[in-house]
Amino acid sequence: MTTQTQPSRRGFITAATGGLTLSFLLPEINRLGELQAAVPGTVNTWLQIATDNTITLTIGASEMGQGSFSALAQILAEDLMVDYAKIRTVQAQPSVTSTRPVGASINTVGSSVTRTNFWKMRDAGAIARELLVQAAMNLKGDQTRANFIASNATVKHVPSNTLLAYGSLAAAAAALAPPSSAPLVPDSQFRLIGKTQTRIDIPEKVNGKAKYGIDIRIPGMVYAVIKHCPSFGGTLASQPTTPRGMLAVVPTQVIAGTGRGTEVTGAVNAVAVVGPNTWDTWQAVKSLNVSWNLPANAANLNNAKFMADADALLASATPYVAGGANPPGTLYTVESMGTPGTAIAASPKKLDATYTLPYVAHACMEVLNCTVNYVPGISCEVWAPTQSARAVLQLAMLITGMAANQIVVRTTYLGGGLGRKAETDFVSQAIQVAMAVRKPVMLMWPREQDFTRDQYRPMAKVHVTAGLDASANITGWSYRNVSPSILGQRGSVLGPKGDSQGIEAANALPYNFGARLTEWVSHPSPIPVGFWRSVGASINTFAVECMIDELAAAAGMDGYNFRRAKLTDPRWIRVLDEAAKLGNWTSPVSSGRARGIAIGTAFNSIVAEVVEISAATATGVKINRVSCAIDCYVAVNPGGIQAQLQGGIVHAINAALYGQQTFVNGAAQASNFNKSRMIRLQEMPQIDTFIIPNPGAADRALNIGGAGELGVPTFAPALANAYFKLTGNRLRGLPLFPGATMGGL
Amino acid sequence: MATLQLNVNGQNYAVNVSNPDMPLLWVIRDLIGLTGTKYGCGIEVCGACTVLIDGQREHACVFDASSAVGKKVVTIEGLSADSSHPAQKAWVANQVPQCGYCQSGVIMTVAGAMKAGHHGSEILSEVKNLCVCGTYQRIRQAAAML
Ligand code: FES
Ligand code: FES
Repeated sequence: MTTQTQPSRRGFITAATGGLTLSFLLPEINRLGELQAAVPGTVNTWLQIATDNTITLTIGASEMGQGSFSALAQILAEDLMVDYAKIRTVQAQPSVTSTRPVGASINTVGSSVTRTNFWKMRDAGAIARELLVQAAMNLKGDQTRANFIASNATVKHVPSNTLLAYGSLAAAAAALAPPSSAPLVPDSQFRLIGKTQTRIDIPEKVNGKAKYGIDIRIPGMVYAVIKHCPSFGGTLASQPTTPRGMLAVVPTQVIAGTGRGTEVTGAVNAVAVVGPNTWDTWQAVKSLNVSWNLPANAANLNNAKFMADADALLASATPYVAGGANPPGTLYTVESMGTPGTAIAASPKKLDATYTLPYVAHACMEVLNCTVNYVPGISCEVWAPTQSARAVLQLAMLITGMAANQIVVRTTYLGGGLGRKAETDFVSQAIQVAMAVRKPVMLMWPREQDFTRDQYRPMAKVHVTAGLDASANITGWSYRNVSPSILGQRGSVLGPKGDSQGIEAANALPYNFGARLTEWVSHPSPIPVGFWRSVGASINTFAVECMIDELAAAAGMDGYNFRRAKLTDPRWIRVLDEAAKLGNWTSPVSSGRARGIAIGTAFNSIVAEVVEISAATATGVKINRVSCAIDCYVAVNPGGIQAQLQGGIVHAINAALYGQQTFVNGAAQASNFNKSRMIRLQEMPQIDTFIIPNPGAADRALNIGGAGELGVPTFAPALANAYFKLTGNRLRGLPLFPGATMGGL
Repeated sequence: MATLQLNVNGQNYAVNVSNPDMPLLWVIRDLIGLTGTKYGCGIEVCGACTVLIDGQREHACVFDASSAVGKKVVTIEGLSADSSHPAQKAWVANQVPQCGYCQSGVIMTVAGAMKAGHHGSEILSEVKNLCVCGTYQRIRQAAAML
């Protein structure tokens, strides 16, 4: 292990019964997308080689379909010199600081699991391998390393032609001091990295055995169904009477750290009805008479007001003052070079456009749920489909007052996470209900609650002005994004550059813009917002790449050639070229069709997409093909990346065509899939992907990119650009077809 | 209170329900304890709850449990003993599931379509299930093998 991640020699290696255990710390990304400082002496990942030759990787990340468990096992197996299929992965449980091998959690956000752990896993595999080889050398009394070959979970002593299984060496290896580093398998000899491997979790996802949060069943358990105040910001007016046949109606309050925007700590914003099974309880919830106090500002919590506020802030906003209060409505300057205003004013061609994006729900296929078994004074066990197991542990400690060692958090499979399950509001409610009823209880959010009580992708209005000179050079670029702050709603004090999540993918763009100004303004809407697949990139890439297309059209140039001429980063150009090639950009499109292109970045990866469409009407469009190229620097499992890109593109299609949440008096209007259309299989375009090949020799100093969220950002602008080509109509608002509903099956 | 005699995956169950209108989905999941069949929308839009009843595809979230009395219910757990149904094999071979939550319903829809005599692209026109993870392209590849 590299020295900064190695807690201590003693903590690093332990002679656990049954073999060799390497324990180490994988760095964690917090919910703000930043690397967390390691707590000295802590570990969160265990590699165990047992004397019976089983190899177990115990790891705290969450599996929500992105295949991160499999990818980590794949990386480890490469340098450990074992068969990937031999590695058993085990979900770790979180601990706060314990070094015991009970597991700690790793927040699973920011497309981070594979990319941030690549080198750590490789080092761990290599160090373990060298320990086993050293044990073999000692056993054979031969200290010439070149006489030993590790492969296929055995060490071969070449001169004597003996094979020693890893398991037989594990106990002896455990007594050795681990080297601080060990040679890695050269890229040219990779057996696994860069080669598609099957995912470990798939077999139990085709036979009903995979256990998601909602599938937890405990003897004697009861079922709770949540009902929030229909309006954000509302609170319970009086305790409802418990319906016949039900056990209880438990008021639940907003616990510190779990409420956003309108939902303030201590407010009782929901009740949970507790009963014998989901259905009867849900029926009782539906007919439960609850009186709520609506927030005083309820009339302001509606779309017209949000848009009017955004327009006003696009026109004028108060600049950030260091050390000032900087209330919502503050203008933050993210980057400024030259004076774009003057440059644009002096340009022969001036462009001015405003792009509008709605609030969008996550709508994970598995609704929010959490199961808790609380035994007063003894223990509290929590099962949750969570992306933030350690936050769940800390929350359980806060609410129950118990010590960390009295609490067990079990991360289940997630039926989709999408950023929503990084939040813990639903967990806090389940714990409160369990403490009230003192029985094992599952709390479930019906789909209607899941849609209407989300922490949404923020709405945004983005105003862009730009100028072109006579030779089609961009003379100036001025960009202002007004959107509610995700970090602000989580208590972050914003610095001079505002919300990093709000402005990501809009600044430091490798385009030759001439003078440039990038600004972000905090919108005052208190509707809860959160991390939605690709976060700010999903907003900014739409505005940036639509405007680039408008500039290309104004310059009379093809969208691909224009971008190619303005891009300054060779990696971006390569990605653009590959997407164009894959999407047959330069060949004529068949009649009735048109193509659009866009490029962007998120989580250290660069992505470009070509979207080909036809049959545009006032209510829809046929998406024929999407061609996507990605440079994520190192691609561990290309098949997995392809699946993630395909999934991300579908996610983006749903959002770009139909996705939005609107509000009337603080009440969200789309309450189920029938009111928020998504595509079905019959509308699925052909998606082709191209992954820029791994570099010959990867460099530790260069950042590996994510893939899980990367299909999303460039789709909407490429679609809008194609729509313009097909129809001559420039659509600057998402979704393209608001209000679309979806019929039954 | 009523007691319903149900046959699920070849096994007989006597379940006590407060109301015989309780949808089969919740009887299967909460009262019988087979959790492979999923809740997604509750309004017959997503297909996550698809089961076979006397070989027909039904959406368990809106199917009264009492209407299943005297019929044979098959859930994902009962599709095969060892994941050997051709759809299950095709799903593994094509690495279809991502989060996997919708896939019980998708596979049961495909199995029902196969039972009805459909193949390949005919199966696909029957699959209206929602997959928020967006696995549709691999569903297509997998179904093409059937
Ligand atoms: S849960 Fe039955 S169709 Fe969605
Ligand atoms: S695989 Fe996740 S919803 Fe379909």
